[in-house]
Amino acid sequence: MKDTFKGRLRLAVALGVTAVLGLSGCGLNEENGSSSSSSSDTVLRIGTTTDVSNFNPLQSLSKTDSWILNAMYPHLLRIDENAEKAPELAKEYRYEDDGKTAVFVLRDDFKWTDGKPVVAEDVKFSAETIMKYKLGNVAAKLTWVESVEAPDATTVKFALSQPYAPFAEGVGFWMPIVPKHVFEQAGDLSKFANDSNWVGAGPFVLESVTKGQRYVMKRNEHYPLAPEGKAAVSQIEYRVYPDVNTMMLALRNGDIDLMGTPVPVSAAKTFANDDKIELKKVGALGFAHLTYNMKNEYLADQEVRQALSMAVDTKSIIAAVLQGEGQQMAGPISPIFAEYDNTELQPYAFDPAGAKAKLTAAGYKDANNDGFFDELNFGVACDQSNANITRVVQLFRESAAEAGIKLENECVERNTFLTRVKNGEYDIDATQWGVFDNPMDQLRSTYLSSNPGGINYNLLESDEMDALINDAAATTDPEAFKTKIKNLDKVVHEQAYLTPLYVENFQFAYNADKFTGFVPSPSDLLGMVTAYSLAQVTPVK
Amino acid sequence: MLRFVVSRALKAVLTVWIAITSTFFLLRLLPGDPTTLMVEGDMTPEMQAALLKTYGLDRPLWEQYVSYLRELVQGNLGISFRQIQPVTEIILDRLPWTLLLAGAAFVLTVAVGIPIGVTAAVNRGKWPDRALQGFGISANALFVPSVAILLLVFFGAQLGWFPIGGAIDPDSRGVAAYLSLAHHLVLPVLSLVLVQLGPYALTLRTNMIEVLGEDYIRAAQARGLSARRRVWKHGLRNAILPALTLMGLQLGTLVGGAVLTETVFAYPGVGRLIYEAVGQQDYPVIQGAFIMLAVTVVIANAMTDMLYAVLNPRIRL
Repeated sequence: MKDTFKGRLRLAVALGVTAVLGLSGCGLNEENGSSSSSSSDTVLRIGTTTDVSNFNPLQSLSKTDSWILNAMYPHLLRIDENAEKAPELAKEYRYEDDGKTAVFVLRDDFKWTDGKPVVAEDVKFSAETIMKYKLGNVAAKLTWVESVEAPDATTVKFALSQPYAPFAEGVGFWMPIVPKHVFEQAGDLSKFANDSNWVGAGPFVLESVTKGQRYVMKRNEHYPLAPEGKAAVSQIEYRVYPDVNTMMLALRNGDIDLMGTPVPVSAAKTFANDDKIELKKVGALGFAHLTYNMKNEYLADQEVRQALSMAVDTKSIIAAVLQGEGQQMAGPISPIFAEYDNTELQPYAFDPAGAKAKLTAAGYKDANNDGFFDELNFGVACDQSNANITRVVQLFRESAAEAGIKLENECVERNTFLTRVKNGEYDIDATQWGVFDNPMDQLRSTYLSSNPGGINYNLLESDEMDALINDAAATTDPEAFKTKIKNLDKVVHEQAYLTPLYVENFQFAYNADKFTGFVPSPSDLLGMVTAYSLAQVTPVK
Repeated sequence: MLRFVVSRALKAVLTVWIAITSTFFLLRLLPGDPTTLMVEGDMTPEMQAALLKTYGLDRPLWEQYVSYLRELVQGNLGISFRQIQPVTEIILDRLPWTLLLAGAAFVLTVAVGIPIGVTAAVNRGKWPDRALQGFGISANALFVPSVAILLLVFFGAQLGWFPIGGAIDPDSRGVAAYLSLAHHLVLPVLSLVLVQLGPYALTLRTNMIEVLGEDYIRAAQARGLSARRRVWKHGLRNAILPALTLMGLQLGTLVGGAVLTETVFAYPGVGRLIYEAVGQQDYPVIQGAFIMLAVTVVIANAMTDMLYAVLNPRIRL
């Protein structure tokens, strides 16, 4: 018999290899457009955690999308290092007609990369498109808008159904401005992918995309907020690293110059011995907290909520969980909003024995002498993918036991957690707010009984709070507005509707041997990669 | 042979249909929906309802399923909720990278596993055999991401021999692009091979020991055939068949391992796409990716069966 085994095996292996390589057909750098740079160009390489999911800034809800889109599409206002709104496309804004008209005055020196000027019609078009299709979360910021007018090239007027104090701040910060002359040709903008031939007016505009690998942005040669009228960096390259550990290695290795995402607290020390890496620290626009479900008959008792607040050792939590990289809070207003934070308030002091005495005085009993009050048995729900919060729940459980309150750890997978919270299926919710750019939006979203943002996790229905919030929201006098916010801070603190845990400091790592001049904004929403920050970056000589 | 091929093809279609159906319903059994993750900010209930309607998720489940199957038959995997792009395009963009990674790991595992398994069997009880058993048992305990991070730290960051993540230097062209591709492929492939190699080589070793004790091997020896011919020609041909089946089955594990490997190595394949889509509850992308992977594994298994038939003529009866 002719021996064909070896031949067959060789053939099979050869076919297999050919099939793999042939089928693979991996696009070997066939990206559209030229992205190669000459030796004189300065390329800033930034690590991002995921691909851009949606290039249409009017639709996108992704944080990492905004890192790229924010550099392309201007906003009326930006947020500065102190969490205050600063001019960007709008040089100023004011209210007229007793707060029922918000007027933005635009700069006249912004240009789209196709040479056309950025005008008021672009702002009007962007706002009207968002309202028409109810796009993104900006649509909610435009709730009060009855009409938008652009009387001249640099003036935009929003007519409001009622005054809303932080309207201009909210819309100014969140709403991206798109080029009307490009977007209006796309037809149905709720289905417009905007995935090629980008026209922007930020300091950089996308030039080419290699999905899963990198996003190359070239400099806009005309960006008025850059010191020289254009950014000093000629090109930005976002590289995708889904795993933060890999991204940290890439920074240390010199593959990237900046991590777009914050360095985890536990890992920050790994950069301590690396002279070229610097960490820039910023505050957060959100905070970690415990929220009590008011539909629970015992948590509806102010004494119980206050006792729970006294049973949380926030100082130890900040030391143990955040390794000191956080601040305490008293009420629901973050200290980052210095103008609105009621500094007369003090956090509930950690005093489990005092909490126990308080509950005893309120009539709660431990009939079976097991060390726990009979009725005070609660579940604490959290998202188990948040390692910090999961650790907090463990510490809270231990300290609450000292106060005679029995807690069950109910940390679960993220979607399950969010669904339970959405349906009110929890006693205590331990979580972290992401971003609130102003205190009024926060109070309105979290305490109004109508629950307009779906995040009134207390399930609070209080006529008193509704009245206080609606009154503050309609106050256009800045000083009176601040006073009313501080009063709300106090009411929530006294009622202990929530127990604030901490405001986390975020740390962004970059290669200080190569680049300098970053102007970080608070929170991890944009951090170091705002349009303004990227326009200020300069290479180290 | 035709009957054999038709039977395998029908089984493959049935397997893919089961994969499609179970993926479709399992995804919808998950708590929440794609709008659940959009709670930050001001996503009003009306906006959430409008989004669900846009996604077609407001319709009864069976209606969604029938509609999905109808579209699927026409080759339409739907539109991504988040990326607003056809899922087929998104996946075809990524699939080649996963095929390259898993394929290279497969080929390397077989190419290295065969000589190791055979050498261990021939030297039963001696040091090569003991070394393989030690490695094989240890490899069973290895976790792909841990291996991946260790390889990255040591060979990437410490020694600087290999790049930290990515699939290719985006600026390379021509031959340099292929070299860059291979350079980026080494560590991800190695992480998969390290985990797969032990079980594969051990299986081959066991089969080989059994086969080497068979009468026909002794007969071959009696006929004066050299040890080399007895082992590599007569022994391996019979011992490799069960190991081949094992590799076919392990392809699924290999592709599953690619999800983790691709995430750690920032490799732009379907695995990473699934990782991202699951985080966003992007049903069409998850469904599409699983179907593509199911089809890939089914085809690979079918090819293994064919290869089995080529190597073992009795199968064709």
